[in-house]
Amino acid sequence: MDTDNLYGQLKAILIDQFELDESSISPDADLYDELELDSIDAVDLLVQLKNITGKKISPDEFQDVRTINDVIGALTNST
Amino acid sequence: MKLLFYVYRFIGTTLFWIFFGLIGLVYGFVILPLVYLVVRNQESRQVIARNLIRGAFVVFVWVARNMRLIRCDVSGMEHWDAGASQLLLANHLTLIDVVILLSLFPQIDCVVKAAVTRNPVLRVSAGTANYISNRAPDELLDFCVERLKSGSSLLLFPQGTRAIRGEPLKFKLGAAEIALRAHATIVPIVIDCNPQMLAKNVPWYRIPPSQPRFRIKLLPPVPVAELVSGDVEPRRARHRVNESLVSMFEAELA
Repeated sequence: MDTDNLYGQLKAILIDQFELDESSISPDADLYDELELDSIDAVDLLVQLKNITGKKISPDEFQDVRTINDVIGALTNST
Repeated sequence: MKLLFYVYRFIGTTLFWIFFGLIGLVYGFVILPLVYLVVRNQESRQVIARNLIRGAFVVFVWVARNMRLIRCDVSGMEHWDAGASQLLLANHLTLIDVVILLSLFPQIDCVVKAAVTRNPVLRVSAGTANYISNRAPDELLDFCVERLKSGSSLLLFPQGTRAIRGEPLKFKLGAAEIALRAHATIVPIVIDCNPQMLAKNVPWYRIPPSQPRFRIKLLPPVPVAELVSGDVEPRRARHRVNESLVSMFEAELA
């Protein structure tokens, strides 16, 4: 799946399920500081994305995720 | 005299770790793989492996105490109910917290960090005892909830890593979330170790200036429902549970 498509799906989840404002979402938005998700929200988010992409995220990768771009990076890199 | 005791403790600690390492090797290479191969039934394999591991940990704690490398006072053991499913939450200061706690509570579940499961020898050991490995964060939550619901007790360190004694406590939300999802009964375990030994990034040979004293105190069990009143949105609920837990620990450690 390409990154634009993934970004679109991610955005849809954030708006529908986390009730975020569309205007607050950008690739550089910080999940924790700007979007005010907590770590459990982030896990829930990853579960939903995993269902779409089929990629698992390791705890180490997860530690490094801060922004929406990081999420997409973690989901698209193949290592 | 004090210097002499320091030198004694240094030599004693070295001998202790050699002993610890040797037993670890025998367990990792011989005993637990043997249990894995011989006992085919998964349930009895887990029971046997956990009893063996606890046995070794009881011996380690006994040796460390009797060599006068540590002092260790445990209180509140009446709050532990071996027949119930309890979520044991402890703060984390030293490398041997888990050794002391697993020596106290037979057959409990615990989470083993991913680095351990990447090591082939440790993976067989942890796998034989069927401990939960910390792989993907979402799976970890589900696994922990499932184990609690199936009736076992689970030990977690909500800080996720060793902290510095005296610094403000910071718990990760995962423990509160697991408690909420499993409707668990929480037993807080307050650990103090003065002076702190075997802290994060401190090598084992840098022993503390005086003999460390562990104080381990179990607080009365709290059903998680008592920490959140009424119908609270999940995000608020876990933050509230987390804050109550942190204040319980801070009141004890103050």
